[in-house]
Amino acid sequence: MSGHHDVSYLAPKETPWKTIWSWVYTVDHKKIGMMYLVTTLLMFFLGGVAALAMRLELFEPTTTVVNQAGQQAVEGQFFKGWEFTEREQLVTANNVYNRAFTLHGAIMVFLFIIPAIPAALGNIFLPIMLGAKDVAFPKLNLMSWYTYVFGSLFALWSILQGGVETGWTFYTPYSSSTNWGGVTAMVLGAFILGFSSIFTGINFIATVHKLRVPGMGWFDMPLFVWAVYATAILQVLATPVLGITLLMLVFERTFRIGIFDPALGGDPVLFQHFFWFYSHPAVYIMILPGMGIISEIIAVQCRKRIFGYRAIAFSSIAIAGISFLVWAHHMFTAQTAASNAIFSALTFLVAIPTAIKVFNWIATMYKASIAINTPMLYAMSFLFNFTIGGLTGPPLATLATDIHLHDTYFVVAHFHYVMMGGTVLAFIGGLHHWWPKFTGRMYNENVGRLGAVLVFIGFNVTFFIQFFLGTQGMPRRYATYINEFTWMHQISTIGSFILATGLVIHLLNFVQSWIGGPAAPRNPWGGLSFEWETDSPPIEHNFPREPVITHGPYDFDTTLPPHCDPREFPLPDPAQSARYSH
Amino acid sequence: MTVSNTSLGTPVLASAWDRLWWGGNVEASTFAEGVDHVFFYIFWVSLAFFVLLMWLMVYWAFKYRRRPGVAPQPSPSHNTALELTWSIVPTILLAVMFFWGLIAYIPMKVAPANAEVINVTARKWAWGLVYDNGASPLETEVIADAAAPIFALPVNRPIKFIMSSQDVIHSMYMPAFRIKRDVFPNFYTSQWVEATKITHRWEEQEKKFVPVNPAESKGYYLACTEYCGDQHSQMWGRVMVLADADYALWKNQQADTSGVSLPDLGAKLYKSKGCNACHSVDGSAGTGPTWTGIWGKTHEFTDGGSALVDENYLRESILEPAKHIVRGYANQMPTFQGQLTDRELLALITYIRILSDNPQDKAAAEEFSARELEESKAAKNAPAN
Repeated sequence: MSGHHDVSYLAPKETPWKTIWSWVYTVDHKKIGMMYLVTTLLMFFLGGVAALAMRLELFEPTTTVVNQAGQQAVEGQFFKGWEFTEREQLVTANNVYNRAFTLHGAIMVFLFIIPAIPAALGNIFLPIMLGAKDVAFPKLNLMSWYTYVFGSLFALWSILQGGVETGWTFYTPYSSSTNWGGVTAMVLGAFILGFSSIFTGINFIATVHKLRVPGMGWFDMPLFVWAVYATAILQVLATPVLGITLLMLVFERTFRIGIFDPALGGDPVLFQHFFWFYSHPAVYIMILPGMGIISEIIAVQCRKRIFGYRAIAFSSIAIAGISFLVWAHHMFTAQTAASNAIFSALTFLVAIPTAIKVFNWIATMYKASIAINTPMLYAMSFLFNFTIGGLTGPPLATLATDIHLHDTYFVVAHFHYVMMGGTVLAFIGGLHHWWPKFTGRMYNENVGRLGAVLVFIGFNVTFFIQFFLGTQGMPRRYATYINEFTWMHQISTIGSFILATGLVIHLLNFVQSWIGGPAAPRNPWGGLSFEWETDSPPIEHNFPREPVITHGPYDFDTTLPPHCDPREFPLPDPAQSARYSH
Repeated sequence: MTVSNTSLGTPVLASAWDRLWWGGNVEASTFAEGVDHVFFYIFWVSLAFFVLLMWLMVYWAFKYRRRPGVAPQPSPSHNTALELTWSIVPTILLAVMFFWGLIAYIPMKVAPANAEVINVTARKWAWGLVYDNGASPLETEVIADAAAPIFALPVNRPIKFIMSSQDVIHSMYMPAFRIKRDVFPNFYTSQWVEATKITHRWEEQEKKFVPVNPAESKGYYLACTEYCGDQHSQMWGRVMVLADADYALWKNQQADTSGVSLPDLGAKLYKSKGCNACHSVDGSAGTGPTWTGIWGKTHEFTDGGSALVDENYLRESILEPAKHIVRGYANQMPTFQGQLTDRELLALITYIRILSDNPQDKAAAEEFSARELEESKAAKNAPAN
């Protein structure tokens, strides 16, 4: 093995051209993960800008007033100046709003949350945590990223074509009959992105099965690996259904084949079944990797064996399995009472493994040694928000209450508490937790904490009030509303800008760290899984030689963390530890 | 006062607690109380878990915060009794939620046989309601910057809505009644409700609603909760709950438009049928062409043809809107075939003629309307033979 394999994967090559080539043609999972990280964060930015624009439109309801000259004037529309005539069709402020929320939803779901954790952090850390040199199919991995980029270009192309105003759910017959040209491009984009997701899933399943370092059993794997593994199963099994559905929608729009549109002899509810058969499991594609990150952060930053390792691992698989049986709970106002009763009952089953995970995480903190740093603040933010998100699920699973709350802001708040307050906060926490490892730089801890606190406050100010908007009867996807809701919308808008400020602070902190942050040690937090044994940043093949498994990932009671000062990370009295040893 | 009897459901001011949760939509149907009971059961169970979990998290984060050089204390990482408890107890609580929710839901799906039927037609972007005597609400009120039809329901009597859509999926949501049902273009759905609180009296002479409680004067609302395009957020309806006698009076008065002149009726229909969602009367372009100043002009079509805007063209445009599309606009309008009487059709045509910018057309339309009104009244007063 020549010497250059021992240098950091981030090290530049002899010439700038070779450096660029080493990235665009790489099969290194870490580089591909980094490329995913940069592209998904770009999409997060784009989706975030759309969200802020929506919040500005909602700051005031639209009202028509008569001015002093006796003329009518419209007030309260942020998008007022955005009106124009396009393709012989009038663009109204409402239409701009509708395209903003569609863009926000489609980008955040298909281009950010679904790929962000598995394909970015998962790509970088899954092979390292298994002690492997790379994923099972490195070239497929690169192809997955290019497929992602190709799919994103379709999504961006749809914006240039005039955008999409169907909502990210593309419900028929609205989506098959609307005149806006961007729908087909966006749908094709989501179809192509599905392949990227399937490639990643296949790769991770094969990697977990075949590339664990000799001696590492299934229950020696870090829980992040379990979570990403469960996610990969969902990606492979569910995504094809979305692909087929979206293709049928494209056929219907393009060739006027009647599948979903009643005007052509189709059935619109069929689309909802197909769509949610993927998109409900997709919810768990989004949250499971976040749960995996939280398991890692809590164990490492609390220096504690995770409570109920097997319960957490099996609950990930249980959630993945049950997620296939609950799709029609999105349709309680659309279908018969009998289907509703069945899907309501099945939906409650998901709540049990989810609750068990939360209990396990909090129990892990008992008698621990808890570092209150940025990753741990994020883990606690996650527990706070995700618990709210989880507990506001039952009112939506319960038939009587869901009829009232369905398609109101209660639903908006609920899924943002899970997706944003849960997954995205876990992702940001994970970025901080592993940043020293994959960049080789430390970030400013105080700035990180400040950002974490602002994000926590901003998120809750934005979304908590939306539960009350929902119970009071404010429907979602509304560009305007009745005056009673104004003050609540204004609080929400203010919160969204606090949230954005927190995120910008993190971004600046990361940029500063990347440029001039102090070099990171190999193991800044005292972790025990394989990624903390290798260099920061890791060398191209991750480890100089195949690592040897000598302890479990959470044996904090009995194992001194590698490359750490034992005075900083002392072990408890061995006699005491022995009482609870495994 | 026709209403002073609390047994008829005169509204009492809602508590601050109710206002916090339900805003202006405090329990107003026979379903609402059951729904809210389940909701608060879930709420209190959730709050108990949330407080316990967050208290433990914050307390332990503080108590076991890292101190330099201090090791974590060993503790078990598995405890079968504890884990069984925290699996079984939530399972039981969740099972109660499911069954209670089902029990409160079933009545919503079983309409009493004696329910009065109201036919509901949803279209982009208006609700059309037709009562069993053929009445459609004529009056409108501006809600969220759009004219919304005002319709009445009787108190303490079951009403069944039979709903269909003319274009895409809509959903009829009446938060005060805790009901919501999707409205589809290819099959009928239905939803029944029994309102329990009188909100208004119907003033027969002045033809207006008078709130029984000035502090809650607005009545309830109906909103679309399935995204349906541009003006999804402006597809509202106002719901007034009346005592039985008032309801009968209101319904009969809405059905009988013989005393309303054609331009006035046209102006009412323009709003109550939702024409105003797409067509302006101030000359500005909307989803469809304006109505002002088009009479006697020529409309150019997307297929290259053209037509003079006159009675026949307008009649065709209302009944067969997809036949010719005015250049610059999309084929968006649903048909109104079977939804307007001949006189209503004439009223809309006359209204557009009145909006002409040619004084002669205006005058001719006004003269015609005055004569027609006399005939219409005479026809109504003539004894049936």
